[in-house]
Amino acid sequence: MALTLMKGSEAIAEAAIRAGARFFFGYPITPQTEIPEYMSARMPEVGGCFLQAESEIAAINMVYGAAGTGARVITSSSSPGVSLKQEGISYCAGAQLPCVILNVMRGGPGLGNIQASQADYFQGVKGGGNGDYHLLTYAPSSVQEAIDIMMFAFEKAEKYRMPVLFLADGIIAQMMEPVEMPEMVDYKVDPEKKPWACTGWKPGDDPKKRGVINSIYIDTESLSVHNEELQAIYAEAKKNEQLWECYKTEDAEFIITAFGTVARVVKTAVDELREMGVKVGLFRPISVWPFPYEPLRETVLRDSVKAVLDVEVNEGQMLEDVRLAIEGGKPVEFFGHLGSQFPTTGEIKSKILEMKEGK
Amino acid sequence: MKKMVVLIGNYGSGKTELALNFAFKAAERGERTELIDLDMVNTFFRLTERGRLARLREIRVVSPNYACSGIESLSVPAEVQSAFAMDWDTVIFDVGGDAVGSTALGRYHQDFMELPEGSLEVLNVVNIRRPLAGTVEKILRLQEEMQIHGRLKITGMINNTNLAQMTTDAELRDGYEMIREASEKTGVPVAYTSGKRELLERFLAEGHDPRFIGTPLPIDTYMQRDWDSWVKGLGGPSEQVLFTSAGG
Repeated sequence: MALTLMKGSEAIAEAAIRAGARFFFGYPITPQTEIPEYMSARMPEVGGCFLQAESEIAAINMVYGAAGTGARVITSSSSPGVSLKQEGISYCAGAQLPCVILNVMRGGPGLGNIQASQADYFQGVKGGGNGDYHLLTYAPSSVQEAIDIMMFAFEKAEKYRMPVLFLADGIIAQMMEPVEMPEMVDYKVDPEKKPWACTGWKPGDDPKKRGVINSIYIDTESLSVHNEELQAIYAEAKKNEQLWECYKTEDAEFIITAFGTVARVVKTAVDELREMGVKVGLFRPISVWPFPYEPLRETVLRDSVKAVLDVEVNEGQMLEDVRLAIEGGKPVEFFGHLGSQFPTTGEIKSKILEMKEGK
Repeated sequence: MKKMVVLIGNYGSGKTELALNFAFKAAERGERTELIDLDMVNTFFRLTERGRLARLREIRVVSPNYACSGIESLSVPAEVQSAFAMDWDTVIFDVGGDAVGSTALGRYHQDFMELPEGSLEVLNVVNIRRPLAGTVEKILRLQEEMQIHGRLKITGMINNTNLAQMTTDAELRDGYEMIREASEKTGVPVAYTSGKRELLERFLAEGHDPRFIGTPLPIDTYMQRDWDSWVKGLGGPSEQVLFTSAGG
């Protein structure tokens, strides 16, 4: 298949359409405005709906409504906008609505800046909205990977009836890379497969088939039952949906953990360190919820491994999960930047060399 | 006579790279050169980011107000008028992508119309590997929209087909075929074919019809991104080994 030169934003938007998304609700915000822009031109071509909402809050609630009909629905925003969406995301999780939410992370807190960041890891994987809920959360590290994940994101969302969150960043959204775009999926709402969806009920129909999309359970008993059901689903997702990459970890003395775009910088640093004779490897969680705790633990607890370095563009958010996985089994150090500057391969190499020399 | 080159085209077609190449070559010939960053639609990857390289060559750079300051609301500076009011040998306009970006040109319609016959080139930069320029129909539609929004008639096309780091011989060749068809349909000539020197030389050696090649323009890359130094695997389907807890 021919390669196309695509900007991350365009590629993610096109992949969503090819995966069957026919509703986009959003509001512009840098660095992801190209996503709604692309959707505004492309959705009408495929008989879909692009709607620029009056706010991010309105957009996520439109997602709630449209997802309730069983359609494939997507919204996108960047950090401050995703903060605004949190109430709606919690409602979607509570009402068990499959949908896809894109967060093209930028610097924070507050308005922060418009450059790439990874500081919404906590918001994405530890909640953000209220209640005991999780989102299937993926952190792509290339434009192609963002496309590939999008192609199964809706299926996963529907399988578990939970929203999927993309933790991308401004670099993925803005960078242009040659990509292979998959064929269009032919998706139609099938009431048999989605008996919960509101696909049309009229008086006289079986009352049991009446879809109700709701996240309120007034009495303690039924809320408890509902939450237990959710937790059972999350347990299943934790078991089945961990996704990660190991790069040159087999004989490594040092393991670097990193997600998203930063992992690509790390990969280059790993290659350059290997050329210098330093045995180093990368462990890259692709699903950050569920986090691949056990695989990371196994990788790090090998005898060859002396220490772990976690690299992120934040204060060390995934670091907490890395430490939970390793449970003190090996020393863990952190290297990161806070102002949206990306770590360079040189900085990562220096840090590893320092660790090697025992500084 | 003052020569003006206006570069318009699809997002990511390579307008800024070409603007820098045109300007640097003009400066090398000793021409008094001005570069106008008229991209009012995209915050990132603008000509102004390479302003220092231009100024080192004694090229004057005009940028939108607040460009490259991390602020997203840009405005057109009055200084753009210097393109018309002052005495230059060459002025190059680097305009924002698509029809929306071309709108910024409309403001200078009167000034462009008053230029002497033959001094203005309006060039549509085409990269057929970009999705919105991937077919003849799309190229023609985009060209038409940009002419309407920019209030300028396109005088030539540039075949700048590439796949960034993954560009092969097929890119210019496929671009040639498609742009030739677009040119035949519209009567708009192919003014230039541009690419990395070695790719361009191989393309020229293939013996295509020179009427649809125009002037060959070997280009240097100035718009490298930070990530060009650390992006491995280039793009496209990757060979990385992934693991999943479901075992497949």
